[in-house]
Amino acid sequence: MKDLSTKDIIKPLKTEKKIKVKPFSKAGLVIRLTLIALAGLTIYGFITFDYKNITFFEALAGSLTNFRVMFTEAHFNHFTFSEALYQVLITLCLALLTTIIGAIISLFLGLFAAQNLSSPLLSNSIKNVIAIIRAVPTVLWVLIFAVSAGLGSVAAVIGMTFHSVGYLVKAYSEAFEELDHGVIEALQAGGANWWQIVWQAVIPSTLTYLVSWTFLRFEINFAAAIAMGAAAGAGGIGFDLFMASNFYLDLREAGVITFFILAVAILLEIIAVRLKKYLKTAQ
Amino acid sequence: MTKLLELQGVSKTYGKNTVALSEINFSVNEGEFVSVIGPSGAGKSTLLRCINRMIDSTSGEINFDGQAVQKLNKKALRQFRTKIGMIFQHYNLVDRLTVFENVLHGRLGYKSTLAGAFGFYTDEEKRQALELLSILGLESQVYKRCDQLSGGQKQRVGIARALVQKPKLLLCDEPIASLDPNASKVIMDYLQTICKSMGITVMVNLHQVDVALKYSDRVIGISKGEVVYQGDPRFMKEEEIHHIYGSEAGELIFNLSEESHYVG
Ligand SMILES: Nc1ncnc2c1ncn2[C@@H]1O[C@H](COP(=O)(O)OP(=O)(O)O)[C@@H](O)[C@H]1O
Ligand SMILES: [Mg+2]
Repeated sequence: MKDLSTKDIIKPLKTEKKIKVKPFSKAGLVIRLTLIALAGLTIYGFITFDYKNITFFEALAGSLTNFRVMFTEAHFNHFTFSEALYQVLITLCLALLTTIIGAIISLFLGLFAAQNLSSPLLSNSIKNVIAIIRAVPTVLWVLIFAVSAGLGSVAAVIGMTFHSVGYLVKAYSEAFEELDHGVIEALQAGGANWWQIVWQAVIPSTLTYLVSWTFLRFEINFAAAIAMGAAAGAGGIGFDLFMASNFYLDLREAGVITFFILAVAILLEIIAVRLKKYLKTAQ
Repeated sequence: MTKLLELQGVSKTYGKNTVALSEINFSVNEGEFVSVIGPSGAGKSTLLRCINRMIDSTSGEINFDGQAVQKLNKKALRQFRTKIGMIFQHYNLVDRLTVFENVLHGRLGYKSTLAGAFGFYTDEEKRQALELLSILGLESQVYKRCDQLSGGQKQRVGIARALVQKPKLLLCDEPIASLDPNASKVIMDYLQTICKSMGITVMVNLHQVDVALKYSDRVIGISKGEVVYQGDPRFMKEEEIHHIYGSEAGELIFNLSEESHYVG
């Protein structure tokens, strides 16, 4: 018998068609076409921009100069350090308030929205309403409530709480649904009722998730609270930022405020990491 | 001997045409140790869950301790379930809570919603829980979190949780299926002690025929949702075991004559 070299074995494969790793799917094709269309539109957009005689490099240099002024020459002008701190505190409180109210409402709605703790009808109804609430951005909710409450902190609190609920109910109910069915069954078999099972098994088992989702929402709400200060007159550091940049046209002060916000954001991140570590190891 | 549990013509159909149990008849006396054996999918888990109404049977009658089980309303059902402890293959503990807290969960059926939800237990209840934990050799694990325990320890916590209910009957759904032989023996020995010295009736679903034969007063064999064997394990013949397991086990992996040499 003839000796088969590696070459002989591999050769026949080369003449065959390319071997596909994935089977053909309609969804895959649609995604690919969409991506190609988007890429085409992006290129078309850049070509047909109205640049108003601004040359690209001049504009870039101008922006960099502004950035340099903002961040290297940052200093207070219209208010003091302690006043800025106070305003940051107001923004933080706005975020905290909306997160806490949102979390409490979401905890209950989340329980009723969890498939394993509720009836299919109730669960689906809540999930659908929540999806609609979530689809509308926070700013829009604030502006919607501003119609009845007027622009200001009240509309901001209600609007931000609303969107927080939309977000947290989804997060919480999905955490609850992850719970092993056997645990619920075991307590039921011992005669425990629904509320007892919720507080004795469901919440202790999912606490880490609940806390980290809530904290994540708090960080989102902090960013939203800054924007609301500017866009909806809700006060706080966001309003100062708005005044500095749009009213006084003071780049340096805008820089200071940005640093303040950045510092708080980093602080929140550190707390979040610590908190998670603590919860993971705590009894 | 008094009858504790009686099933008459009990059937269960899932959906339209999955017959899990058909016309089950048997009774269990107080203090008896009964094993239910049969191939996977025979309906063992369904049978156990029909008894404490975790699953509602489709037809037939179940009587437990003088009560018609299927007729109980919601409140009576809660009370009724406190009389039946249940333990599971996967232990089903709240992993993030301590051993002590998990054992006390067995008392929830006796408590008001509020006291139970917030975990207010009486000193008497705590004392009983600790006593059971020491009987089960877990006195040094009381304040450990359950996710730090071995499988055998978790199952003992599960047993303590069931016993703190002060049950008349213990339902065990494959309690040793996830355990190694040593831990399995420890668990089966505890179940035997519970039955013989505490006088609690025990009903166990088992995969291991040899274990069933060694420990039980009576073996119930089910196949395709029907009781195909009932009797004293001492007189059980190899053909009968083959009959229960059908053609699925052409050759059973153990030998009846060696059964008496089982450890212990
Ligand atoms: N929730 C369910 N829905 C539909 N069919 C089920 C359900 N639970 C069990 N069954 C079916 O009922 C039969 C008996 O199952 P089970 O009681 O779990 O058997 P065993 O515990 O003996 O393995 C099986 O055919 C199984 O597929
Ligand atoms: Mg089973």
